[in-house]
Amino acid sequence: MIEAFRVGAVSRGETLWEGLDLAAGDGEMWIVTGPPSCGKTLLLHILRGERRPDSGDVHVAGESLYRGSPEHNRRFRASSGVVPESLPAGQGRAVVDLFRLSAFAAGGVSTEEIKGRISELLPLVGLSGAEDVEVSSLSVSERARIALVVELFRSPRYLFLDRLLENAGKEWADRLGGLLRALAREDRTILMMERQLPDIWQAAKVPSPLSSGPFFLYRLGSPGPERKSEAEGPPLPAGPLSETTGGVE
Amino acid sequence: MGKEAAGRFLFCFLAVSYFLAMLLSGGADRFLSGQYTITAILRIGVPDDEGTGIAGKVAELRPVREARYRTPEDAWKEFLEAYPGLESLRGARKNPLPGYVEIRLRPERMSEEGIADVRSALEPVSQVEKILSGGDVMPSLLRMKRWANALLWSGFALVCAVFLVILAMQEKTRAARLVPDVSFLVDRGVPGDRIAARRTAGAFVAGGIVALVATLVSCAALFLVSGFFHFVRAVVGPAQDLLDARHLLPVCLFLLFATIFQGLASLAGWRAAFPGEK
Repeated sequence: MIEAFRVGAVSRGETLWEGLDLAAGDGEMWIVTGPPSCGKTLLLHILRGERRPDSGDVHVAGESLYRGSPEHNRRFRASSGVVPESLPAGQGRAVVDLFRLSAFAAGGVSTEEIKGRISELLPLVGLSGAEDVEVSSLSVSERARIALVVELFRSPRYLFLDRLLENAGKEWADRLGGLLRALAREDRTILMMERQLPDIWQAAKVPSPLSSGPFFLYRLGSPGPERKSEAEGPPLPAGPLSETTGGVE
Repeated sequence: MGKEAAGRFLFCFLAVSYFLAMLLSGGADRFLSGQYTITAILRIGVPDDEGTGIAGKVAELRPVREARYRTPEDAWKEFLEAYPGLESLRGARKNPLPGYVEIRLRPERMSEEGIADVRSALEPVSQVEKILSGGDVMPSLLRMKRWANALLWSGFALVCAVFLVILAMQEKTRAARLVPDVSFLVDRGVPGDRIAARRTAGAFVAGGIVALVATLVSCAALFLVSGFFHFVRAVVGPAQDLLDARHLLPVCLFLLFATIFQGLASLAGWRAAFPGEK
């Protein structure tokens, strides 16, 4: 579980926000929306343990990411994946190189296993057979989807997605929603930062101190037995990929 | 990447070729020892078998590479070759010249001590009339040889220094190119030290291979060139000498240092590009 307590951030001498609370449990999927430059990416960095908040603290599994041991912070980052807002063009790099890098981060993945998992993951985002394509030749949408599956390669327990839906494009919101919901059902915690919730996604705005700042907080899916019934309910369209995520593990 | 590897190989080849040439030649030692001889003039009337025996004994001395006895007849022929038309000096068929022993020193023993060792071994020999070893000119000649050697080794040091600077620059550029990859890994909990250690280990292996291949190519080139050109054999020495144990050890040490330096350059490049990465 990721818990943020009274988190505040200052940027260029101005307080962006303060007193934010958030608790994201296993198998939960949260979306934080907000206008441009309101600090969504900064919040993501803080929740990932990459940038110490100017006030408050972030705990994972009961231990502080910033006041606890550096090893705890490192382990948390090792178990989490992140799709950044801006995706590097990766000059001279093929898609398979990104997977190799992810395999290095995961450690102990054989070449055969890399190949096998690439062939399972790429079809999930509509890019079958793209492993030898140069990253610089991909569109923003394709790069965003590649970045997602490169993270899924390591089967991270926590996923931080910064404007993934916006980068991937509206036409992918439905499929990615199904994929992410399926991942949440497998007990992964997903935190998304978006400028706005996609029109076709229906989610309840959660009243929280977070919502009193520049952000709106939405929760899609919930842990435990209710999760299944929610997954079958209206908030998210049943994506065609929700059944295919068996290949992700 | 290919250009970098080729450049690194070329510099390594240059450095190792220079080193092998210096190792074989000892700088100016081999050339000088090829030109310089100590001549032990025997008394007139010393039989040839005694002269040959003296030459054999002298050849066993540590500083001596070669000692050859020249009979009085050989000496007379050499004299006539040098000064034709003086046959009349040989009256009543009697050869006025004595036999002598021509002594050449080992290149590495081409020093005042080496010359003194040979002289002190020959002086008590009653059959030896006179020892010609260069006289007063030798100390200044040997001093010049030392300066020449120092200059040549400085050249080698300069080549190594340039090689190291280029290595460090290459590694820094390489490490800077890796910034996105390293950020990716560090963001995903891979310790910076682990990445640096893996890179350094890789650089050791790659550096070792480059140094080994450069050494083998350089040895092959030296064998080829010294086989074709007498001048190279006279100045640098026969490439076969490289197979001597006394030369193998420095070559192995050079390989080791070239490998270590390439590994350390990789680490230094990493530290320069990622000063705070742990």
